[in-house]
Amino acid sequence: MGSEVLKDISFNLKPGSLHFLTGSSGAGKTSLLKLMYLAHRPSRGKITMFREDVENAARRDLPRLRRRIGVVFQDFRLLDHLTAVENVALPLWLSGGKGTEIEQHVEELLAWVGLKDRMKSRPPVLSGGEKQRVAIARAVIKRPDLLLADEPTGNVDPAIAKRIMHLFVELNKLGTTTVIATHDMEMVKRAGAARMHLHKGRLHLLDPGDSDFREEETEAGEFGGIRLDQKEYGPKIYGPKIYGANENEEGGGV
Amino acid sequence: MIARVNFLPDERSHEATRLLPYVMAVMVYLSALALMGSMVLHRSFSEWTEALSNRLTIQITTPDPALREAETADVTRLLQQTPGIDFIHRLNKVEIENLLEPWLGEGNVTSDLPLPVMIDVTVSRTMAVNLDALRGMMAGISENIHLDDHQQWLGRFVKLMDAVEYTALGVLSLVVMATVCIVIFGTKAGMAENRETISIMHHLGAEDSMIARAFQRRFMRYGLKGGAIGLVLAFITLVSLMSLSRAMMAGLVRLPDMPVAEGAVLLVIPLLAALLCMVTARITVMRGLNRMV
Repeated sequence: MGSEVLKDISFNLKPGSLHFLTGSSGAGKTSLLKLMYLAHRPSRGKITMFREDVENAARRDLPRLRRRIGVVFQDFRLLDHLTAVENVALPLWLSGGKGTEIEQHVEELLAWVGLKDRMKSRPPVLSGGEKQRVAIARAVIKRPDLLLADEPTGNVDPAIAKRIMHLFVELNKLGTTTVIATHDMEMVKRAGAARMHLHKGRLHLLDPGDSDFREEETEAGEFGGIRLDQKEYGPKIYGPKIYGANENEEGGGV
Repeated sequence: MIARVNFLPDERSHEATRLLPYVMAVMVYLSALALMGSMVLHRSFSEWTEALSNRLTIQITTPDPALREAETADVTRLLQQTPGIDFIHRLNKVEIENLLEPWLGEGNVTSDLPLPVMIDVTVSRTMAVNLDALRGMMAGISENIHLDDHQQWLGRFVKLMDAVEYTALGVLSLVVMATVCIVIFGTKAGMAENRETISIMHHLGAEDSMIARAFQRRFMRYGLKGGAIGLVLAFITLVSLMSLSRAMMAGLVRLPDMPVAEGAVLLVIPLLAALLCMVTARITVMRGLNRMV
């Protein structure tokens, strides 16, 4: 068993809330997201999602839970042999959507994220920013209950980044609980949303008013204005621990 | 229109399983040969045993022609008086020469070659003939009279027939086992090759059965494609072999025709191969996925 990647984390996410997840590289952001999109199981602790205990959910229950979650992966994770339209259509197809209906929705969304001319293109011929937009479209096409985005604006220009953030905010207004992992502190400040900050595997919750939190203070271990929120929220994660071979290695083995 | 998204990459890009249809073709080829060979031999054996089962051959080898003729007359009378004997036919010289020619060569049956008297007897299928008593009575006429009911030869023949059929069954079982192993190996290789795709599909909410269906459909196609190729090759081989055998063994043994009705069973082999591939792939994928998170 390797060293712990995440330690003694307890938080509740209120349904329909918007949170940013920040922290330096290797702090455990991706690992925490993996727990939340059920790619990993915690070595101990309790995760409640959609009013269900999911840390030991049976395999047969995972697809149903995962269909309620939209994920924007840091490395996009698109299927290279499928077109942009087909990639985005996958969640709808998996839910048994009808062909024409799927196509109409997907094309509208792709046009909205600025990929109207790239619909039939396959990921290998798309730029990093275009792939990211396809990945985002795939994550939001079904209007998930929980949206998890790992550096969703990392590869796009400011105009597109703004547009994507607008999309996330709009979805959030419609009731989608949203967690966005990012290094972009400007974007965090602009959005004025609550922030979850990971430092050395521990989680600290900040109110929107604490958005002027300085990274160097974090590194120095001075967590001014941080408090753990104890309110009763929707999705909850109680004290999971992830063990990795290297403490600084993001997404280390469970 | 997006009717159905095939989330597994195109078969041609699958390095791990691209050659599987050809391996399947070899397996089906071997299965079809074993099965068809067994069928042809079974039919041959059945026809030969059927032809001999109610037949007796009597040979009278007395050297003195006059005495031989007298003994032949006595034997014929005895046979006519024996209940259960349906038909008695004394073979003429030409018929005996025809029987000998395949062994001695055409035109090599010279007039000075001493030929026995041969009587072909057909026994009733409904009435039993006491062969021991008949043999005893013939021995009373002459010690040079030989009654052959072919049972000794037929007994060995049946044993050979059983051995050949069990061997064919053994070959078939080995081929099926090898096919299952190859499909398991191919499926695992295919899963490893598509590990990332499977992981993405899982995260999007795909059920194990959906992923398994994609693999089983693919392996079913491999089975069908390989099966069709293997069956055509097996058919060509069998027809060629039978033509060659018929030409080589003309006059010695009568080979049966290709058993058409039974042969039609062979058409099912590609379907069975496809089914075998499909089921094996499904079980392998489901087991493999079960080990994932």
